[in-house]
Amino acid sequence: MRVALCATCLVDQFFPEVGEATVKVLRHLGVDVSFPEAQTCCGQIGFNGGYRKEAAEIARHFVETFEPYDHIVAPSGSCSSMIKVYYPELFADNPRMLERAIAVGEKTHELSEFIVNVLGVTEIGGASTGLVTYHDACHLLRELGISEEPRTLIQNTHGVELEEMPKSDDCCGFGGLFSVKFPEISTAILNDKISNIEKTGASTLIANDCGCLMHMRGALRRQGSSVRPKHIAEFLAEGLD
Amino acid sequence: MPDVKTSQFKSASVKALADSNIQRALGAPFAHFVDGRKSAIDADFTEESWESMRDRAAATKAHTIERLDYYLDLLDKNVRRNGGHVHFANDAAHANQIVLDIAREHDVKTVIKSKSMVSEEMGINAVLEKNGIVPVETDLGEYIIQLAKETPFHLIAPAVHKTKGQVSDLFEKFLDSAPTDDIEKLCIIARDVLRDNFAKADMGISGANFIVAETGTVVLVTNEGNGRMTTSAPRVHVAISGMEKLLPSIEDVSLFLRLLARSATGQRITSYNSFISGPRASTDEDGPEEFHLILVDNGRLNLLKDETLREALSCIRCGACLNHCPVYRKVGGHAYGWVYPGPIGAIVSPMLTGLKQGKDLPYASTLCGSCRDVCPVKIDLPKLLLDLRHKVVKSGAGAMPERLGIRQWHDTMKTRKKLEGKARLGRMLQGLVARKGFITRLPLPVVSGWTKSRDFPALAPRSFAEIWRDDLSGGDRS
Amino acid sequence: MPTPVEDPNKEAFLARVRDALGRTSPIMVTPDHPTLKTTLPRHEEKIRTTKARTEARRSQNVARLESTAIAASWHVHRVSDAEIAANVVAEIASSIHAKNIVRTAEDIFKRVDTDATLRKRGVRSTVLASGRARRKDDLKEIAFKADMGVSGVEYAIAETASCAVFQRKGNARIATLAPPVLALIVEESQVLETLDDFFAIVRFQFLTNRGRLPNYYNFISGPSRTADIEQTLTVGVHGPGEVHMILLASA
Repeated sequence: MRVALCATCLVDQFFPEVGEATVKVLRHLGVDVSFPEAQTCCGQIGFNGGYRKEAAEIARHFVETFEPYDHIVAPSGSCSSMIKVYYPELFADNPRMLERAIAVGEKTHELSEFIVNVLGVTEIGGASTGLVTYHDACHLLRELGISEEPRTLIQNTHGVELEEMPKSDDCCGFGGLFSVKFPEISTAILNDKISNIEKTGASTLIANDCGCLMHMRGALRRQGSSVRPKHIAEFLAEGLD
Repeated sequence: MPDVKTSQFKSASVKALADSNIQRALGAPFAHFVDGRKSAIDADFTEESWESMRDRAAATKAHTIERLDYYLDLLDKNVRRNGGHVHFANDAAHANQIVLDIAREHDVKTVIKSKSMVSEEMGINAVLEKNGIVPVETDLGEYIIQLAKETPFHLIAPAVHKTKGQVSDLFEKFLDSAPTDDIEKLCIIARDVLRDNFAKADMGISGANFIVAETGTVVLVTNEGNGRMTTSAPRVHVAISGMEKLLPSIEDVSLFLRLLARSATGQRITSYNSFISGPRASTDEDGPEEFHLILVDNGRLNLLKDETLREALSCIRCGACLNHCPVYRKVGGHAYGWVYPGPIGAIVSPMLTGLKQGKDLPYASTLCGSCRDVCPVKIDLPKLLLDLRHKVVKSGAGAMPERLGIRQWHDTMKTRKKLEGKARLGRMLQGLVARKGFITRLPLPVVSGWTKSRDFPALAPRSFAEIWRDDLSGGDRS
Repeated sequence: MPTPVEDPNKEAFLARVRDALGRTSPIMVTPDHPTLKTTLPRHEEKIRTTKARTEARRSQNVARLESTAIAASWHVHRVSDAEIAANVVAEIASSIHAKNIVRTAEDIFKRVDTDATLRKRGVRSTVLASGRARRKDDLKEIAFKADMGVSGVEYAIAETASCAVFQRKGNARIATLAPPVLALIVEESQVLETLDDFFAIVRFQFLTNRGRLPNYYNFISGPSRTADIEQTLTVGVHGPGEVHMILLASA
């Protein structure tokens, strides 16, 4: 089974520790992980901005880079949903690329979904302490229908208590371009999310998407909060130490 | 026609965020809509699941829209067979003229109105007033905003942003009533004034929640009873509707009543549902002598001719998408600048009044997808918003800083080599602004808004690719 | 009354709609819609089974109507005979200190003699029918001043506690709309199970005896209500704020 890691552009350039953690967890589960070095980006930024021509070129590069593999694992719900749900729309007018894109989409998995549904593992075997809470990233939840898998992995980490925040499935206000195009609205939505996070009393906030995490961390840090945001990969990898 | 202020969304939204009254209104009262809808859906009622109902409704609407010419023709024949008149209005101005002609023909001095979003598109009240005819809104929420000279804040609850104090002030000013903070008393004040209008008005103008082609029937869904009053008491009844509100058969109505009531107000059914197919019969005791149905285009063809956007015409105006939208819940209805707010407004307003003017609206969304989850007719709102963004860019109206940013991004992401080159440059430059891995002030175009309220991460000292090469690959390089 | 003429703009309007949908010619056959494609005999069969089912489940339907109505803020009175029903109407009138009530001229009042019971309590009952040598405008005035309205129904639907009131000769709309209190007399044989049953029956009437189907009918499913001010519920805005359903066992 040839498994390729799609690091995602955010992880690659801003949060490489998430990539390291993902590799650590997958190797611990016996997966032989490859990292196709030609990878750059899935193209979502351009697509969401309305720049489909540019996005299609970047997406084509993605398809070419990853299609030789049996599975593609990405520590991100938004990138996975771009590949699985929106590539068919991006290539709707190009039958040849459409076929290839659909094939790639079918073997692309978000990390927690890969571990639970493809590897069939519900307990990584790690341990941790303390109260944690979990944010349901919008694309992960509503485009891919993933909400049980991350919770299963978190709750099966020995010593950890998961406290659900009120409205865990409310948007954090990131929305990519939205966060800088309408920063005031974005911040207002984010503040509600922060307030719900703090209501849990948790010391750690876990989410599967670096976009959301970067957004929530941005405000938690600015507001001097002691809540530590962690990607689920980091949380699971740390538990193995 | 009311002013189109869609281009002012950004500034209007900032103003709304700072308005404590609007923020209050968008809090608890809306939680009420959201919870009410959920309770109504969870409650046991019939054999069919909510999901199955949505699927059937989406299919029925798609079927109808695809054959809209057929069903409009069938509707026309049936309404006329029932003794009613049917008018096809190309745009708002045309529709206004039709109303004025009917009013003049019947020597109309006063008009009572029940809810009609299309009549807001037409700006019918101002037109009537200019022609010496007095229009009075009978839906309490619409009446309040009519006095306040505002546009509706929400599809279903147009005056939800008004406090009881503000309503009392309005009534004191325009109706000479005694100030009170008792909501029931306020309703009674309005009721007594409007009751007088019901008794005396010459013409009633209503909207239509659904229009049945097979029997030529306009269906009105209300709670107050003003819909019944408006269409029963005066001698002429004019129903105005967008041309897309059709259903094929009277047997389709039950499904849509179930979906609308729960989605809009969390009710199993509203207090009143009127089924109007024409004027009164000569043997009837009361009711209007003449019935007119005006079917309005006003830009809906723009949606109809687009195979992707066409499904926006399935909307039954329930307001659920607004209630669940994180953006609407922060800025409210006025910020959207025209008649329709929220996710559906972000699609309909630009397509009906101009994409260039309304180009910010499709971007005023995080694409969270909550709207799609709650839409009773399963309109894929995020997909339509993405399509509109593409249209904005294709038309050359994309914002300049974004265009340049995307060009940079596109250039960077073409190859790994380019990406690494640009990232190296970024790492060098960010030393100027980054501290401890974060940037707290980034005065660059497009991104500067971020750092006003949030810290921005700096580029990591080594990319993951470098770490992989140096530490993790163990010599196994792809 | 002559059929109103076709709007001269109709053809051009429909042509533009057709064009937007990518068609050059109109659809000439009935579209593939489940109801529209159903033959009349088939629909007739559906009505037969609906009526049979409704009959067979009458007591369940009535029980369901009662509980749904109570939950929807109806005052429900179950009575076994017409005389009790007439007394209940009079009691309601007394409870609100009514002086003048209005009623329709429907056949139900031949069975339920509310005029007699109201008269005994000194309550004036006016029949809202212009046939009784009364000008049309007077109906409105009398109705707007009345303390209570009483009417029969065409059907009552258990699913939604909806009373279907049909406009006919002798059945003024304003009777069930203007007064602040409303009493509707429902015979158990008029109770249907679901909205679907109601519309199937209406459709059958439309197909077989269109002239008999009125141009106006409506559902009353509870008191008039609004929450337009601060999302706070107020009852009795433009329609009756107090609604009574008198459920009468069939003769």
